Amino acid sequence: MKEIPDKNLTGLSALDYFREINRTFPKTRAIQEHKAAGKKVFGWLCTYVPEEVILAAGILPVRITGYTQETELEDGNAYLYINNCSFSRSCLQMGLRKEYDFLDGVVGGSTCDGARRLFDVWRFYLNPEFFHVLTVPRKFHERAHELYYHQVEGFKKHLEEYTGKAITDESLLKSIEVMNQQRKLLKELYELRKLDEPLITGAETMEVLNGTFRMHKEECNSYLAELINELRKKNQGHKARARIMLIGSVLNNPEFLKGIEDLDTIIVTDELCTSTRYWSEPVVLEGAKNPLEAISRRYLNNFPCARMFPSNERFDRIIQLAREARADGIISETIRYCVPYAHDIPLLSERLKHEDIPLLTLDVEYGTSGSGQIRTRVQAFIEMVEARKK
Amino acid sequence: MKAVGLDVGSLNVKAVILDGSSAVSFAMLTVSEGAEPSARAALDEAIISSKLNGDELYIVATGVGGKAISFSQQQKAITTCLARGVHYLFPAARMVVDVGAETTTVLKINDRGRVTDWAGQDKCAAGTGMFLQAMAKIMQVSLKDMAEYSLRAKNRADITGTCAVFAESEVISHIHRVPPTPKEEIIAGIHASMVSRIMGLLKRLGIEKEVAVVGGVALDGGFIHVLEEELGFKVLVPENPQMVAALGAAILAKENLEKGVR
Amino acid sequence: MTTSETKRNHIESLLRACRLVSRINKNRPDCKKSELMYYQMLDKYFNNVQRAKQENGFLAAHTIFFPVEILYAMGITPLHNEVTTWTTALLLGNQAEFLTAGAEAGMAPEICSPHRGLAGGFYRQMLPRADVILWTNLICDNSAKAGEYLMELNRCPGFFLDHPFGDTQEEQAYMVEELKDMISFLEKHSGRKMNWDKLAQSVAEMDKQIKLHAEICQLRKAIPSPFPTRRFLEFLTVDYMFAGQPEATEYLVTLRDELAEMVQQKKGAVYPERFRLMTLFVPPIYLIAFLENLFQEYGAVSATEPLFTYWKYSPLDPSKPLESVVKKSYLIPESRTMYGPLGESTLQDIRDCARDYRVDGCIYYAFMGCRHTCATVKMFKDTLNEIDIPVLTLDCDLVDPTINSQSEVRDKMEQFFELLEDR
Repeated sequence: MKEIPDKNLTGLSALDYFREINRTFPKTRAIQEHKAAGKKVFGWLCTYVPEEVILAAGILPVRITGYTQETELEDGNAYLYINNCSFSRSCLQMGLRKEYDFLDGVVGGSTCDGARRLFDVWRFYLNPEFFHVLTVPRKFHERAHELYYHQVEGFKKHLEEYTGKAITDESLLKSIEVMNQQRKLLKELYELRKLDEPLITGAETMEVLNGTFRMHKEECNSYLAELINELRKKNQGHKARARIMLIGSVLNNPEFLKGIEDLDTIIVTDELCTSTRYWSEPVVLEGAKNPLEAISRRYLNNFPCARMFPSNERFDRIIQLAREARADGIISETIRYCVPYAHDIPLLSERLKHEDIPLLTLDVEYGTSGSGQIRTRVQAFIEMVEARKK
Repeated sequence: MKAVGLDVGSLNVKAVILDGSSAVSFAMLTVSEGAEPSARAALDEAIISSKLNGDELYIVATGVGGKAISFSQQQKAITTCLARGVHYLFPAARMVVDVGAETTTVLKINDRGRVTDWAGQDKCAAGTGMFLQAMAKIMQVSLKDMAEYSLRAKNRADITGTCAVFAESEVISHIHRVPPTPKEEIIAGIHASMVSRIMGLLKRLGIEKEVAVVGGVALDGGFIHVLEEELGFKVLVPENPQMVAALGAAILAKENLEKGVR
Repeated sequence: MTTSETKRNHIESLLRACRLVSRINKNRPDCKKSELMYYQMLDKYFNNVQRAKQENGFLAAHTIFFPVEILYAMGITPLHNEVTTWTTALLLGNQAEFLTAGAEAGMAPEICSPHRGLAGGFYRQMLPRADVILWTNLICDNSAKAGEYLMELNRCPGFFLDHPFGDTQEEQAYMVEELKDMISFLEKHSGRKMNWDKLAQSVAEMDKQIKLHAEICQLRKAIPSPFPTRRFLEFLTVDYMFAGQPEATEYLVTLRDELAEMVQQKKGAVYPERFRLMTLFVPPIYLIAFLENLFQEYGAVSATEPLFTYWKYSPLDPSKPLESVVKKSYLIPESRTMYGPLGESTLQDIRDCARDYRVDGCIYYAFMGCRHTCATVKMFKDTLNEIDIPVLTLDCDLVDPTINSQSEVRDKMEQFFELLEDR
C-alpha cells in the first residue's frame, strides 16, 4: 500500500487513500500515469455507457462529473443556457475551462435532454478526438435489448477503428471480471451500511464512490477489499436516531450527505446514479450469446434511471432497497430543471404513502452541500420520522 | 443647428451638446419632478454652460424616459446610443459594459460603432448600481469609499448568492460573524459578486477586446479592478462614464443633421 | 348551463371561441379562405372530441408528434396536448387556471408549461376524461415522462411509444415493432380494429402533404414574403391535428394556391416590408396578436422558421404503411433538426434558410420550460453570427404570461429593429 500524508487520517487507511485520489480531481494520479504511458483516457457520462467495452480497448474510463460545490456557472450558463440542469452546466464549465483537456474521448448515452445537449455543446466547442453517443431505449423488453446490443456493437466497432486494434472476447471477459469484482465489493460495502449500527457513513461511502470513478479498476478493487476488511475489524458502528435513504438526481458531493448525517442520522443506503444505480447489477455470462451481449443486457437491465419506462421498475426497487436497509424515511433530492426525476415525484409520493414510508422532497442545485434552508427542512423531517419510531 | 443628446435615466438626466464633432458641454441632473421637466432643466443648464444661446437644437432622446420627451426630434434605443458614444471615445472598443442604476447591459459593437449583439439583465438587481448602493448602506460606507476599501483587500469574501436578496443576507452574516470578516474583504466580495454577473453576460456574447465600461458604477475603482482581474486585461473607462449614452445620442443627432433630416 | 358547468366544460368553451372567430372572419373582407378553413378545422377537431364523449367514441389524449394517422385509421378520436393548451391560450386566455391546477397536481414549475397545463386540466376535470393516454419521447423528456401521471389522473390505460434517438435501420425497425405493439394494445382496449387500407390512404395523403409543405416553403422565399407571421402556428397545428387526413390536404392546397397568387402579384404579408426575420422556436402564444401588430408597425415578417416549417420532401410508400409512419416521424422538421445528436445538417439548414430567405435578423424565442431548445442558443447564434446575421434572444414562456410583459417584449424588439436598421 502506498504511503499517505498524516493529515485527515480517519483510522481507515483505505478510506484515506480514496480521499487522496479525490483531492486531485479531475486529473487524478491514475489518469496521469495512464497518459504518461502513452495510453488513452475517455470520459463517460450516464450509467448506460458500457465501461467494460472501453476497458477492453485498453482505454481508461473516467466518469465526467462537475464541481464538488455549488458555484457560479457563467460559462455553463452562456453555452448551455440557464434552464439546463446545473449538473450539465457544471460539467460543461469544467470542460470549457480546460479542466478536462486530458480526455482523448467522450462517450455518452442519449439518456436525457440535459445530457444529450451537454454532449452536443461539448462536441461543437471542445471537439474531442473521439466522440460517441449510444442510443439507449427507454424500455426493457427483448426488442429493446436487441436494439441496445446493436448500439453497443456499433460502439465497439467505432472503438476498434479508433485504436486500430480488434476488441477480442477475451479482453471483454477480462474487463467483465474486473468490473463484476468492483460491483461485488461495492455491494459488500453497502451491506455493511445495512447493519443495525452501520460501519460506514453515507458521506464516507460517497467519497469512496468518487474515487472509484477516477482510478484503475484493479487498484480500486484492492483498496475496496482493504476497506471492507478494516471496517469489519471495527468493534463499533455508528449509532443514530434515524436511518435515512437518499434518492434522486445525480449527486456526488459527500458534504451534502454529511450535512444530513450531522443531524444525528445515518444514511443507510442511497439510490443515485453515482451510487447504487451505478454498480447494482453484475454482468451475467450464462445464457448470453457472447460477452458483448451479456454486457449490453446488464446495462439495460440495471437499476433504472427515471428516464426508463415504466417508472414502477424504479419505484419497486427503491421500495425493496428501503425495506432491506430498514430505512425509517426517504429523502429525495431533485436538481432544478431535472425533468425526468421531477416527473417521478407525484407518482413516487403516492407509492411511498401507500407503503407507509415517509418522504421528504428537496429542490437542490448540483454540487450543493445543503444550505441552511435545506438543513431546517431535513431536521423537521427527521424529528417527525423519529417520533414515528416511538 | 446644434446636435443634442438627452439620456433620460431612472435616476438622472444627462444632456450633451455638440459643436462640430466635439462635445461642447454636458450637464447631469437628478430626475425630480418627472422626466420632461427634469430633461428641460438639464438641457437649459447645458445650453447656459455651452454659451451657444440662440442656436436651434436637434435633439435625440434615449434612456428609459426617452419616449416621454415631447420636445425631442427623435428617440433612439439606449444600446444604439451607447455604441456610438463608446465608438467615438474608444474606436478600438468592441464590447461595452454599461452598469447603470437599475440595469446592466453588455453590448458587442463593430468597427463602425454599430451594435451587433447585446445582453441585458433587467429582472434582477444583482450587479447593478442599486445593488452596490444598498450594500454600501449596509456596510455604512460611502459609495466613494467602497473603492478604496476594496482595493486594499488581500482576500475576497465569498458571496455566492445568485440573487441580490440572498447576497444581501450573506453580507450581513459576514458582518456579524465572530470574528467579523474584515470590511475590505466583504466589499471586495461584493464587487466580485457583481463582476460575476457581468462576466456571465460577457461570455454569452463572447469576449472580445477592447472592453469599455460606462455608467455610474464605472467610477468605482474597486469594481473596475476586480473586473480587470477576471478578464485578465485592462478595460477602457471614459472620464465621464455617465455621459456616454447622451454623447452617443448627440452623435446620432449630428448624423441626422448631416443627412439633412429635420 | 350554470357558470360552474360552463367553467367545467373547457372543450365547449373552446368550440364557442372558435365559432366566434369564424363568424368574425367571415365578415372580414381581407380574410383568406385558408384562414376560414383553419378555424373550421379547429371546430371540427374539438367537435370530434365532444362527440367522442357523447356518442361512445374512444378518446385518446396524446403528446406532440404522436402519429395521429394511426388513430384516425382506427376510428379513435385524438386530443392533442399542445393544440389544446395553445388554443386555450390563444382563444380563451385562461391558461393560468390550468397552470395553477398543474402546480396543485404536483408538477414542478420547471416542467414545460403545456405539460403542466394538461395535467392540471385533467386534475381539475376541466377536460373530458380520456379513454387512453398515448405518449412518445419525441421530442423531449417532458413528453417521455408525461404519460404515467396522466393515466393516473384519468384512471385509464396508456401506451408509451419509444422513439429511438437515431435513424439507423435498426432503430427504424424497432419503432415499427413499437407501432405494432401499440396497435394491438389499442385494438384490445378500444374494441376497434386497425383499418389498414385507411392507414395506407393516410400515408398517400401525407406524401401529398409533405410535397405541399415543400412547395409552400419555396413560395415563401419570395420577396416580399407572402405569409403572415401570425399564421405560422395555424400552419403548424394543421399537421398536429389532421396529419394524413384529407382536411389537412385541402387546407394546404388552398394555402399554397393563395400564396402562389400573392407571389405572382408581388404582394406581401406586410407593406412596406422592411425586415425579413428568421424565427427560431415558437413565439409566445399569448403574444401572437401583439407581435402581429408590432410587426405590421415595423414592416417585419417572419420569412422562415427552420426548426418548424422547413420541410424537405422524401417519398412515403403507402404499401409499407408502418415503415412510412416511422419515416415521416423523422421527416418532421423539428424532429429532423432538434432530435438526435445535433448534426452539421441542422446548422446547414439554418445557414441555407438565412441565405435563401434573405434574412436580415433572427429572433430566438428561448422558452424557459424547454431545455433542449435553449441549449442550442449559443450554437445557433454563433453559426448565424458567422454569416453576419444578428440574433435577438427573448427569454419567454410559451403560454405563461407572467414571465415577461408586453412592454418588455416591445422594448427588446424595437431595440432589435433599430440594430438592424443601423447596420
